[in-house]
Amino acid sequence: MSGGERKVKRPRAQGWEEAGGEFYQESYPGCDADLDSMHQNPSNIATLLPSKQNRTATYSKKYDTKGTVRRRTASRNQCQNTIRRPSMTPAAQAANDLGALLPDLSENLSNEERTWEEIMQIKAMPVSMAQKKEHKAKLQSQTKLRLQGIEQLKWQRRKMWQQLKKSWSETLAKMNIWRHSMKEVEGDFGTGVVAYFLFIRWLMLLNLGICCLMVVFIVLPALFLKPAEQPQECNLSSNVSGPGSIECCSAQYANSSSEAENIVIQIVQGRGIVEHTQAFYGIYPNAVLDLNSTAGLYYDMPLAYISVALTFMLISLGAIVKSAAKGFKERLVEGEGQFYQYCNIIFSSWDFCIKNEKSANIKHKAIYYEIKSSLESERIEEERITRSKEERFKLFSVRILVNVAVMILLCGALYLIYAVFDFSASRQNETFIAENELLRLLFEFLPSLCVVGLNLIIPIILGMMVRLERYSPVLVIRMTLMRTVLLRLSSLGVVLLSFYRLFKCDPCKSEGPDASCKAPECWETHVGQQFYKLMLVDFLSHIAVTFIVNLPRGQLAKYSRNSVITYLCEQQFDLPKHVLDVVYIQTLCWLGSFFAPVLPLLAFVIFFFMFYIKKFACLVNSKPSTIPYRASRSNSLFMAVLLLSFVVMILPLGYTIAEWPPSRSCGPFRGQTTVWSVIVRTFLSSPLWLQHIVFFFSTAGFAVPAFVTLVLCLYYFYAVSAANKHMVIVLKNQLVLEGRDKQFLLHRLSTIIKQQQEHHKALRAAAQSAQMNSTDISSST
Amino acid sequence: MGNKLVTFTEEQLDDYQDCTFFTRKEILRVHKKFRELQPDVVPRTMTREDAVHVRVPRDVLERLPELRENPFKTRICEVFSSDGKGNLSFEDFLDMLSILSEHAPRDIKVYYAFKIYDFDNDQFLGPSDLQQTLRLLTRSQLLPEEMNQVCEKVVDECDVDADGRLSYMEFEHVITRAPDFLSTFHIRI
Repeated sequence: MSGGERKVKRPRAQGWEEAGGEFYQESYPGCDADLDSMHQNPSNIATLLPSKQNRTATYSKKYDTKGTVRRRTASRNQCQNTIRRPSMTPAAQAANDLGALLPDLSENLSNEERTWEEIMQIKAMPVSMAQKKEHKAKLQSQTKLRLQGIEQLKWQRRKMWQQLKKSWSETLAKMNIWRHSMKEVEGDFGTGVVAYFLFIRWLMLLNLGICCLMVVFIVLPALFLKPAEQPQECNLSSNVSGPGSIECCSAQYANSSSEAENIVIQIVQGRGIVEHTQAFYGIYPNAVLDLNSTAGLYYDMPLAYISVALTFMLISLGAIVKSAAKGFKERLVEGEGQFYQYCNIIFSSWDFCIKNEKSANIKHKAIYYEIKSSLESERIEEERITRSKEERFKLFSVRILVNVAVMILLCGALYLIYAVFDFSASRQNETFIAENELLRLLFEFLPSLCVVGLNLIIPIILGMMVRLERYSPVLVIRMTLMRTVLLRLSSLGVVLLSFYRLFKCDPCKSEGPDASCKAPECWETHVGQQFYKLMLVDFLSHIAVTFIVNLPRGQLAKYSRNSVITYLCEQQFDLPKHVLDVVYIQTLCWLGSFFAPVLPLLAFVIFFFMFYIKKFACLVNSKPSTIPYRASRSNSLFMAVLLLSFVVMILPLGYTIAEWPPSRSCGPFRGQTTVWSVIVRTFLSSPLWLQHIVFFFSTAGFAVPAFVTLVLCLYYFYAVSAANKHMVIVLKNQLVLEGRDKQFLLHRLSTIIKQQQEHHKALRAAAQSAQMNSTDISSST
Repeated sequence: MGNKLVTFTEEQLDDYQDCTFFTRKEILRVHKKFRELQPDVVPRTMTREDAVHVRVPRDVLERLPELRENPFKTRICEVFSSDGKGNLSFEDFLDMLSILSEHAPRDIKVYYAFKIYDFDNDQFLGPSDLQQTLRLLTRSQLLPEEMNQVCEKVVDECDVDADGRLSYMEFEHVITRAPDFLSTFHIRI
């Protein structure tokens, strides 16, 4: 049989040529034997086509590392088996087919590495377990060549690497906390919501990593290492270290303490004893610490502090981008070509994880509604297009009005936050407030309470307003989400703005203490405390809302018969809102970590409890929503919001680090012009060749050619991708045409065969009648 | 030798690790689950014979919490059973959960999804297969003409060679574009 012998391995690029060559050169195996069956049943021809044996070919090709021999063998076997199909039982048939899938081991003697590779690939073979085990046994027992020398080393290294990866993933799987909780949520709500809990866990682990980093590199050295040189004492009368000097300012700040308050209040506010610990920025020394003076090892505290800050920013960014890239790649592939609406509904909408009967009912209903609305959507589209001009104008003006109202509402909220900040800062020193502890506490927390309160109330108002705009459901979610993100990020912006206004001056100037400056002595610690308070209040508000407000609502909705109460009290698990809650806490943590190294630890603890709070809100308070949350889209939503918050957060932080003068009484950067100057100073003391290299990168001689090259590369990749898109369309059309050609030819072929059969029948009938006539004649004579 | 009751020998575990996408811990978890279905039939220590011959009948399997609410539970059991009737041995059960786990790559999931949706086993998803799928998904709530409409639309979208039914290649092409397939075709153990 032609083509049945050994073929050399063809390089992969020759796709089309290979296919064309086969078409013209090969005679299809088993052609002669086919004719009988074709005569019996012409429509059986379709089963003989090579494309119908394609599945076998695809799999054999994939597991083919060397040589295309197996494909020939497999397709030939398959072809013969197809002819004999009616006579075999299904089980035997299946066994035969699958036997063709297994490699023909007599042909190539493989070496150890190849055998090992094939054993690795057994899992992905679409055959039953018994056959996989048989295959593995065969592979293990076959004679194999041993590898020698360098190849042996390379293979051993590969094996070890695989082993490492496997044990690493096993260890990670062991640390897979909350597995049961995820399963519970999944059983009730589906995979879209579980993605949210996975997101919380991911954030928690990220914060743990940052916390460990900070503890190892900043907290522990500050705790245990002593300064290398003895610091100068504050001598009020001398010129050098007089009243305005750094030493005296630091001494003044270190000795300041708030009034003897309750230790709990001190912890909650981050003041008093807590303020002067490593939890906040103030206590860190600005000196070079002594690691091992005999060996001459020193630990530069300011440099370490800023490096750790930069590192954790980079780590966070890297983690977000890596997580987002996974989803992005898949979305890009799916974005090509059309979206198969009905196919997706039928084949990939049932969530195999659902275990709860009620959720299953809701899912069935959701699928039913989705199908019905898809069927009706064509009708709705028509309706939308033929909407009269008047209606469109009305809708347009309503939308503009709503947008303006939303802007006014947001501006009002921001002004309120600003005013409250001013108010609480100015009134704090009044005597009657200073006397009453409770009132003082209230004023301390007033800004945080204001921000949190607005974050709770305004999204509800936004949700009501968006109903007037009559958008499609997907767009409603997106608009509400965008507006709430805008609210939260701008409220943070206003908080920072109030800080900037307040901290324009330093109360301990080099000339002497400045009485007119209202700023606190250590503004960084003050900022850290504010963020600390914001995070705590936000967390407590979540607990309060979930248990005190929503729990009774949920129970009422479940047990009351009154439809009005049920309508008001029923809650659905609103995924975007909960995502924002979590992202907001993370943004606060990122912003404040530079000023209060305790914040990542606090965020870790908060997220740990947040998991359980949200799980409670999900399982007990809400019922499964009829809007199907797709897991893939959920993930990209989370990462997009997180990335946006990160980018918006990095701007003010970067500005503070680069431009704002650090306070002179505390922290590792006291006395420097800006925080960034530490890096500049370190860079300037590094070896000369390094400086030359870095300077070269910033000259025009490097920057301009590099920029031009990048632009050209970008254009090249864009052109290639556009050409590929066009190619896909061309190939698709070609495929459709080929399919039609094939149908046409099959149809003609069966017509011809039928004609032939009839012709034969007619001949036979004529011959028979002629015979009968002759016998009649002979019998009659 | 020790006092610990060993469920599988090292060799068996090694084999199963190479033939499925599970780690050791997960394989033992699967065994526990299998045993919970019928503790009197499934032994605590599985020899090679037990793993292949001890079968749990289909109606007991369909009471498994993960499969109970699944509209395709009967078909899943049929596809993965080695006797074709839906009664799974431990190896079949392990195979099934391995394919449906999150570590399995897309290709093999697509292959088995095709087999599951192919109710009449003719290697094509014809109109009858699609209608049966739809009936199971919506619990027969759709009107017959709506069902016909949907099936026609599905075939319209996917059928490239215009033979009125979906071959494996067409199905694979569509599912590769489905954004949620990997996350929905997944059972967590």
